[in-house]
Amino acid sequence: MGKLFRMVSLLLALCVLAGIPCGFAAAEEVIDADLTCTITLGNWPPDTAPEAEKALFERYRATMAKQYPNVTLVPDYYSYSLSNYVPMAKGGTAPSIFQPPFTDPQLLISQHLVGDVTDALEKFGVLDQFSPSYVEMLADENGRIYGLPRDGYVLGMHINLALFREAGLVDEEGLPLYPRTLQELAEYGQIIREKTGKAGLVFPASATYGGWLFTNIAWNFGCVGESALEYQDEDGRWVCNFTSPECIAAMEYMRDLQWKYNILNADATTTDWASAHSLLGTGEAAMNFAADDSVDQPTANKGLPVEDFALIPFPAGPAGRYALAGGTCYMFAPDITGDQAIALMAYLKILGKLPFLDDDIIEGMRADYAAKRDRGAPVIPAISAWNNDAYNSAKQAIVDEYCNVDMRLYADFFDSISEGTISLKAEEPVFAQQLYRELTAVVQRVITREGADIPKALKKAEESFQEYLDDEINDY
Amino acid sequence: MSSSGTQLRSHAKLRENVQSWLIMLPGLILMLFFVWGPLFESVRMSLYKTRNVELVRFIGLDNFISVTGKDDFLQALVNTFSYTFWSLLIGFALPIVLAILIGETTRGKSFFRTAVYLPNMLPGLAVIILWSAFFSGEKSGVLNILLARLGIPPQTYLTRADWVIPIIIIIATWKGAGATALIYMAGMASISPELYEAAAIDGASVWRRIIHILLPAIRKLAGTLLILQIISVFQIMYEPMVLTMGGPDNASLSLMQLMWQYAFGGSMNYGKASAVAVIVTLILLAMTAVYSYFNRKESDWD
Repeated sequence: MGKLFRMVSLLLALCVLAGIPCGFAAAEEVIDADLTCTITLGNWPPDTAPEAEKALFERYRATMAKQYPNVTLVPDYYSYSLSNYVPMAKGGTAPSIFQPPFTDPQLLISQHLVGDVTDALEKFGVLDQFSPSYVEMLADENGRIYGLPRDGYVLGMHINLALFREAGLVDEEGLPLYPRTLQELAEYGQIIREKTGKAGLVFPASATYGGWLFTNIAWNFGCVGESALEYQDEDGRWVCNFTSPECIAAMEYMRDLQWKYNILNADATTTDWASAHSLLGTGEAAMNFAADDSVDQPTANKGLPVEDFALIPFPAGPAGRYALAGGTCYMFAPDITGDQAIALMAYLKILGKLPFLDDDIIEGMRADYAAKRDRGAPVIPAISAWNNDAYNSAKQAIVDEYCNVDMRLYADFFDSISEGTISLKAEEPVFAQQLYRELTAVVQRVITREGADIPKALKKAEESFQEYLDDEINDY
Repeated sequence: MSSSGTQLRSHAKLRENVQSWLIMLPGLILMLFFVWGPLFESVRMSLYKTRNVELVRFIGLDNFISVTGKDDFLQALVNTFSYTFWSLLIGFALPIVLAILIGETTRGKSFFRTAVYLPNMLPGLAVIILWSAFFSGEKSGVLNILLARLGIPPQTYLTRADWVIPIIIIIATWKGAGATALIYMAGMASISPELYEAAAIDGASVWRRIIHILLPAIRKLAGTLLILQIISVFQIMYEPMVLTMGGPDNASLSLMQLMWQYAFGGSMNYGKASAVAVIVTLILLAMTAVYSYFNRKESDWD
């Protein structure tokens, strides 16, 4: 490693420790001319991407070329899915960097399918700034880091304000009288159905989505701690528990949403994440369990004006108020070298994904927010995955410049997180996707058959998933 | 003389054989590499405990026992036979009817031929998305809009466990029937026109010509297409996967989709996925053998 790089790293580390946003690394400066390697960059915007997005990535590439002239960037349009990634990783053709959801890192780490970037992060001085919950998701049992958060999200509810107005569910200031509990959700949904004829709640229950959303509902019914859906017993074996009274009550609630209150959209079992946003955006449904990172979906992508959109906290249940925290991360090919790991961290720094701010990053953020505003997407603050106050405050100031929404429509969501009135919770710890698949089948049964035997269906799902856990972890 | 003649003939035959083998060689190598190799590997993998695509240890038939012991396998097996049943009920006769209708058409034959084949030219996923909009249970679903015009309230379709497989088969038939009809038309074209002329002179109606000339002539072709249809429908996957993801509550889950779930649905259990694949192959082999047996018996009888 070059002397220059070591000095820059030291300076960066000092700045970070001092909590000062760093503004010294101008794009024109060469940071490390000795670093020589090639990195392939997954998720490069395709030709069909918006011009602004393509231009932004070209700027990143140009900056990288100036700061690290001997690092060759190879754009790759690769978009991660577990099924396509595994053969690529085994065959040595995986891109150097790709973006899996937070459900997969532990699986990929346990299967040795991703590369270690701990040393590179240490060189950039950011290893200790990770939010601990993200470290937990992206490290192995020895604390080695295999990924970086791209963005974090917290699950809440998207609201079609136009339907709330039509149903008379707004106060004198035009702010929504939104449901604060799951019981209120059912009741408000019923009012919306009666007054507007539209679905009170769109519930995507296809594939694994139904189980995914159900886990958050189950937590709020008390499926945590001793009644958790998954836990490790004293022998270290993973055990699932879908038949607790709390879980059964949560599933009965799902049944009531369909058969007692009739607030769900008609095609819930074939509705996926994208079509749920579509139904909300086009005014076919009034509420959708969704997060802060997808506010552009019903608005910019489906045409709902930002004035008619609000984001509220996840409703509380009878036994708790939890909200799922997750997101997308960056992970790396299993065969990356030390130099490639450093080059990849440098690239992520230019993208503004490490807790540094320089002129280029600020310009990039401004361009990003301007593009969002132009597209008609709400410009709102992102939930930071870094514990660096100076960095987070500086970012907020830039968001304020471009904000295009009435922040009162988002205030309770963000306040609930910052004030701790809602507890953030990561996804179930092991084989979450498989767990969601099992629970989705039960949700589907319950909302398509009025007389479904809930304890029996949950027992069947529990046995199936327990066999899976035994097979994949306990008896491996 | 006689011995050298025999030698010459065997040399010529050998040369001919070598040439034939050389011509086949590239194809054989490709088959070996892309078909038989993976096939063998899949069978081998089904007998091993796997860690993604690596073989960890030999476990005999454990993958098969584990897979077949689960409710979702039984459900997928029943569903797959149900797909086959509905496919034969809805989709077997339709191409024959189409072929006969087009064959009997005197004007615009090329137009109809192209028209029935057109759905087959559309990308499969586009067809599924198109029909999902048609069968959407929301008020904005095309079928529900049409029903609303008749004063009928909106219905749900793909969320009904007892409707979902027939609907998927209707969609698959809409896409594939035209191509099969073209094959039947080609088969019908080989029927000697003299037979029709003789029948016409004898005063046979269109119906009698179909029953006594056309259908017997295409019987063997229909038999072959029948077994191909069964093989094809038995491997149905992307239609339910895109349309319903196997739901509601596994009501449209097929064996191939179950295989996909084991391999790529989050668990990466390629050993079990291979076990399902081997089971599907064995069932299809058995069905093909039964068909071949009866076909041969019938040929002997002829």
